[in-house]
Amino acid sequence: MTTTTAPAPATAAGKPLPRQPWNRHLLAIAVLTVLLIPLPLILPPAQASVAVRVLIFALMSIGWNMMSGFGGMFSFGHAAYFGIGAYTGAYLLVEHDVSPWIGMLAGMVIAAAFATLIGFLALRYKLRGAYFALATFAFAEMLRLWATNSEFVNRAVGYHVPLRVDTSWWWIQFEPASPNYFWIALGLTVVALVVSVQFVRSRAGMFAKAARDDEDAAATIGIPVMRYKLLTMALSAAITAVAGAFYVQYFLFIDPDLAFGSSVSIQAILPAVIGGVATIWGPVIGAVVMGPLNDVTATILRNPPPALEFLQGRGGLDVIVYGVLLIIIVLLLPKGVYGAIRKRWSRR
Amino acid sequence: MRKTWTATLALALPLALAACGGSAPAGTSNGGGGQSGGTIKIGSLHPLSGSSAADGQQMDNGAKLAVEAINNAGGIKSQGGKKLELVSADTQGKPEVGQSEAQRLIQEGAVGLLGTYQSAVSANVSTVAERNKVPFVIDVSSADSILAQGYKYTFRVQPSSTVLGTSGAQFLDQVAKAAGKPVKQVAVLHEQGPFGTAVRDAFKAEAAKAGIKVEPAIAYDAASVSDLTTQVTQVKASGADVLMVAGYYRDGVLAAKAVDTIKPTLNAVYGVANGAFDLPQFPKEVGAPAEGYFDANYHADMTKPDMQALAKLYTERYNDQIRTGAVLAYDSVQVIAAALEKAGSADATKVRDAIASGEVPTLIAGPGTIKFGPTGENVNATPILMQVQGGAPKQVFPADKAEAQPVYPAFKSQ
Amino acid sequence: MTFSPDQDHVAAGNGGGVATLDPDELPAPAARSVPWLRIVVIAALIVVAIGLAYLRAGSGVVVTQAVVTGILIGGVYGLVAMGLTLIFGVLDIVNFAHGSFLALALFLTFGLTQAGLHVYLALAISVPAMFLLGVLVQRGILAGAMGKPLENQLLITLGISLIIENALLLFFGGNPRSVALSGDRGVPILGAVANLSRILAFLGALLLAGLLYLLLQRTRLGTAIRAVAANDTGAQLVGIDTRVIYAVTFAIGTACAGAAGTLVAPLVTIEPTTGSLFNIVAFVVVVLGGMGNVVGALVGGLIIGLAEQLGGIYLPGQSPLLSVFIVFVLVLFLRPQGLFRRSA
Repeated sequence: MTTTTAPAPATAAGKPLPRQPWNRHLLAIAVLTVLLIPLPLILPPAQASVAVRVLIFALMSIGWNMMSGFGGMFSFGHAAYFGIGAYTGAYLLVEHDVSPWIGMLAGMVIAAAFATLIGFLALRYKLRGAYFALATFAFAEMLRLWATNSEFVNRAVGYHVPLRVDTSWWWIQFEPASPNYFWIALGLTVVALVVSVQFVRSRAGMFAKAARDDEDAAATIGIPVMRYKLLTMALSAAITAVAGAFYVQYFLFIDPDLAFGSSVSIQAILPAVIGGVATIWGPVIGAVVMGPLNDVTATILRNPPPALEFLQGRGGLDVIVYGVLLIIIVLLLPKGVYGAIRKRWSRR
Repeated sequence: MRKTWTATLALALPLALAACGGSAPAGTSNGGGGQSGGTIKIGSLHPLSGSSAADGQQMDNGAKLAVEAINNAGGIKSQGGKKLELVSADTQGKPEVGQSEAQRLIQEGAVGLLGTYQSAVSANVSTVAERNKVPFVIDVSSADSILAQGYKYTFRVQPSSTVLGTSGAQFLDQVAKAAGKPVKQVAVLHEQGPFGTAVRDAFKAEAAKAGIKVEPAIAYDAASVSDLTTQVTQVKASGADVLMVAGYYRDGVLAAKAVDTIKPTLNAVYGVANGAFDLPQFPKEVGAPAEGYFDANYHADMTKPDMQALAKLYTERYNDQIRTGAVLAYDSVQVIAAALEKAGSADATKVRDAIASGEVPTLIAGPGTIKFGPTGENVNATPILMQVQGGAPKQVFPADKAEAQPVYPAFKSQ
Repeated sequence: MTFSPDQDHVAAGNGGGVATLDPDELPAPAARSVPWLRIVVIAALIVVAIGLAYLRAGSGVVVTQAVVTGILIGGVYGLVAMGLTLIFGVLDIVNFAHGSFLALALFLTFGLTQAGLHVYLALAISVPAMFLLGVLVQRGILAGAMGKPLENQLLITLGISLIIENALLLFFGGNPRSVALSGDRGVPILGAVANLSRILAFLGALLLAGLLYLLLQRTRLGTAIRAVAANDTGAQLVGIDTRVIYAVTFAIGTACAGAAGTLVAPLVTIEPTTGSLFNIVAFVVVVLGGMGNVVGALVGGLIIGLAEQLGGIYLPGQSPLLSVFIVFVLVLFLRPQGLFRRSA
């Protein structure tokens, strides 16, 4: 046993980490939740909808972070799980009139099963690094192409979630500006955060991290590497599927590109990398930074300062600014925002 | 130490910006009254960046010209000559951006929305409009499913995919019969999205009524296709006498190039709502082989003097040729403005009722005015038939909209 | 006789009797042996695939056309993938901006032809220009992220591609443009037809692959690049300036995108987003051919081109890309290191 404790933390930060204060994480989650509850009552509707979007991003990325951050298996195909969650919920609701909550659970199960299958194949054939990433990408693309041409899921048309006359918790449908959407998203995100804290401190999480840091050593001391890697992937997929299922209920529409497109996979990666890979808070911080960034650049360029007025109304500029900021953040904060903050704190 | 500072700065910057971005519109939010500053706001949602930016910018420009024309003519007279104000938003072609931008425009007081080009975005904006009870006029987005939801606040000026496919088949049958060479078999090449498949199905059903065999129907992925010669070879091998193509610009050009390379024995290449065949740049890009290509598409009516004037103004202002999308946006603004005039109020629900019961003249070639049926579909929306003649697309059918006679068979060599 | 070199080479790699045929750490001499067995197997599989397509389609012309088109388009995929595989192999960067570099070259070519230059003469400007840009991008942006995790570099190159694509949109607008090759016409090949411009692009791809191969195998620079690819710390120890090699390799990669952009300019509609069309397929080709393997990229391109065209015949209702990914995943599982090991 002593052999694992030495190499594991060393690769993570270059020096032994202090014991993670897990209960402090849980406390922080609780405090933050309480602070955020009144947010949708303060924000105007458009900003509230951005806030919900941020939470959906965070949820996707918490899922990605579990597999790729803590588990060390770089996934470039989380769109597969997001899409499975979205399509399962939409399919059951539209075709069989099943509550989206049940659809969400079903989506989690199917996504987890699919992840286990992909994981088994990829690990069985010892894919690593970029090869592993591109294999996950290929599976997501295959799902997209299959959905686009499959009568079973309405081909490229996708699903509209029918509007209901009444508002209902059971059917997750409220007035458009209702704070309930935010609260549900917040609730789901908090659960996902707690799950990831519990996972990381659990035996399964430690084994997964050990396997990430030195697979051979982990296997030598008798950790069933394959089993814990698959468990990590399944959990990760289930969390991302929740994001997909909620996405459909909030945006009321899904099609193959929105569900399985490669931009969805990027959206799952982005917050975690910006916030800090393999940290509990990274995906959340990243989502808070990147989620509104698009809207912010668009707002500034819509009413530009006098010096930049000549650029007004030219399409594409807002995306350029977004690209520049993205590069700057990744270059300046290679360990993410949370990584940088933690580094500062640990120096004190 | 320096690194930590930049870190904090990088974190603080977007948050601070978010705060600014958030506070500006919040100040003007007034719950949909839409009369702040003495103007009436109309929201225009189009893809101003991304892969459809060219069309999105055209459409946004069209909407701007419409607002300008209405304001120059004295604004909304029933409301004391109040001026219109167009608020433009970039959807980037993404549904979630479209959704939050629509939300923002409504919050800033827009009494009507128009847009959005991509069907997925329109589907999202239509639910936002429905739930906020703000009328939304779709200028371009042909997917049938959007208006199949029973929404009351969504209207569509453009013909749906089904109307396009049905009329497309009728026109082909009529033109070929008039030329004394009835069509026997049509091969279909279509993009695999909702637009292409819906057009294919409607076309096939209508063609069957006229006794035309439709086979084979070959699908392709418009986003990634880089060559269509194999597909056109399949068409050649099938012995079809007409090739129908339903797709967008880039793939339309690929199809034309493949037809030029393979040279199947066809009487016509016949687009239905094809994004390439009725555009002036299509013959420029493909060259002489483009001659004779048909396209059954909704199209600006160049026989109308008002349309000619608008096309001229557009070219002067934006140094580009106006496309039908821009004209549809222009018309959509007219629809909202006419409703504002009729309602005598900027109350969104009254505007919605006025749109539903109103009739508005159009610059698009068709049998009449813009008039909405119970589902919000424009009952007078139909395509017309265009054909490339002398290096430019001309209106050729029906006869009352024709600038020139249709040439069928379209290719001299066969 | 043809099989013996490969047998040796497999044996060399198979010391432990493990299922993987080609671990990266193989000794150098084996790298020069040509994997005949594998080539024969691949060729046999392709012949079987073509035969099945013939049974399925029932029309010889269609299959011949599919094969000719597949090979020609595959050459273009290979061309695009060559630069990518070099960058992938040496710098370990998943370069998402490759497609937008290609788009930039397309617009550059368009501008040059507008100024009266012949399309293929534009190579003389687009290649050096893209080389220069590659140096600038690598030194200016990517150098700061060398050795960082895969996802960081992925997001940086994503940012670069967003900037390039939208800058093109900002300055040129989204209207589609085209470059015409004067005298372009259909050329009959065994009953099928192919455009002259496609054939020339294909030949250009072959030529470029040959040149790159010579550069890597026969020059001092190539040796240094291969050394860095194999072991960068080791290369540093023997006096190679890895920073220079990184910059030069990246620049060669973008110059390949530049050449590809000019060669495909007559085939495609030129829009700011045109380059990203090739991105996904190019990634697949890179993995298929083995990361860092230039010749592998060309072969991988041909296989993917064929898979795409024949897949359209096998699965008529499905997107041709589906068969591309099926082939990809199968290859990935059967040969995790790509069809050909990294020999660049």
